Amino acid sequence: MFGFENITNQNGWAMAAVGASIVFMGLVALSFVISQIHKLLKLWDDRQKIIDRFKTKVPADADVTEAVDARVYEERHLPAVDELASIYQPLIDKLEEPFKLSQLFEIANKNDVPHPHLSIQRLQEAGLLVAQGDGTFTWNKQIED
Amino acid sequence: MFDLLFQFLANTGYYLADYRNYVMLVVGCTFLYLGTAKKYEPLLLVPIGFGMLVGNIPFFKGFGIGIYESNSVLHYLYFGVTTGVYPSIVFLGLGAMTDFSSLLAQPKLMLLGAAAQMGIYFTLLGALFFGFAPKEAASIAIIGGADGPTSIFLTAKLAPHLIGPIAIAAYSYMALIPVIQPPIMLLLTSKKERLIKMPPARAVSKKELLIFPVAGVLLTCFLAPTALPLLGMLFLGNFLKECGVVNRLANTAQSAIIDTATIFLGFTVGCSTQADVFLTPKSLGIFFLGAVAFSIATASGVIFAKIMNLFLKEKINPLLGAAGVSAVPGSAREVHLMGLKADPTNFLLMHGMACNSSGVIGSAICAGILWSFFV
Repeated sequence: MFGFENITNQNGWAMAAVGASIVFMGLVALSFVISQIHKLLKLWDDRQKIIDRFKTKVPADADVTEAVDARVYEERHLPAVDELASIYQPLIDKLEEPFKLSQLFEIANKNDVPHPHLSIQRLQEAGLLVAQGDGTFTWNKQIED
Repeated sequence: MFDLLFQFLANTGYYLADYRNYVMLVVGCTFLYLGTAKKYEPLLLVPIGFGMLVGNIPFFKGFGIGIYESNSVLHYLYFGVTTGVYPSIVFLGLGAMTDFSSLLAQPKLMLLGAAAQMGIYFTLLGALFFGFAPKEAASIAIIGGADGPTSIFLTAKLAPHLIGPIAIAAYSYMALIPVIQPPIMLLLTSKKERLIKMPPARAVSKKELLIFPVAGVLLTCFLAPTALPLLGMLFLGNFLKECGVVNRLANTAQSAIIDTATIFLGFTVGCSTQADVFLTPKSLGIFFLGAVAFSIATASGVIFAKIMNLFLKEKINPLLGAAGVSAVPGSAREVHLMGLKADPTNFLLMHGMACNSSGVIGSAICAGILWSFFV
């Protein structure tokens, strides 16, 4: 038997369609899996950070702690850390330690200190404001000295 | 005394030979010429070509000399072919030699390896159209995967009487990649498409390379368990290479073991082309369909790459589709050369190897699928 009749009789159309679909789906699945391997590995490598993130209650006013590019400080003409410390220390002296960043922000605003968000961020990065782990902060006198 | 002399002469190859033996001897010499002078896949064509010479020396049947005589040495060596042992061992070595990092860096290129397998299924229909039995048609179709060991493996399981012509067709077309693929690539791509540059692949970590063979064997062999003898060995070889604690085993697999298997595989396949078994109208049909399979596989890969480009932001060079066939590294090299012709600064080799590697996996899955249709 020859021709299309033979293909039909031998179930050729179905074999070709099913076979092609299976190999395609198999390789698509494999390509998907291998495209995720490095992401899963990154998750695995960062597992401690992720666990810590869930374990530690993130303070509501910790938003200001996002990393800021150093260029932003320059663009906004923000003073150097020493100068900032000299501006903020009198304000912090008025607060009871430990204090919340929102309190510091509020008092800075009242005293018309420019860019309080960025300034507080910079003080944190410089280690002058130390997180206590419960959403409150203290002034690091050792660094200041 | 003269009687003894005449009896001896009557038993010599010169007396017993007919024109078919001479035809096959010429084909064998051509293989040796292509392998040695032209350096077309010499690792395959040299043992096969020499096997053709040995297999087509006429002999007096019944003495246990020929490869098809059950008590001959050649028959014992051929056992590795008919049982699928040699292809599995070749896959072990192949796995130990293959660096899958380019594939892991660009998993989307795996789709081109899948697309190139369409040649197999088109040829399955073609072989059935020309009146081949279903198992024979499946064995012929696998030539489209452009993978010699896979073709031999499947044919040994489904149509052992066709091992000779199918193996010779598969290896011949693999050797003729520089002749077959470029015109198809040129025909299906524009100059602008050939100029597309691929971005450099990202660095792949050691852990990824280590996880891949485990994920690969689980995923593919659960899908097509009949491909286990091939894919199991391929991924084992790759794991040996990547785990870094069994370098001795990996080195042996990628040198002595694969070389030994290649010698015996090539030689016995060459021997199996005994003229009276090989030179049949069916063989001619197999060669014709094999060429069709290989061409469709190349074209499918290129066309699918062009289809992918319709949806991708970062276009891929459609020449890479031609490397989706599993002729490692011949087709990747050819794609690279075509890319260089269009733009001498366009290096496609590593991207081509990604498609090639997925082609190897794809054609082995296809073999498993086709075999399972007849289990």
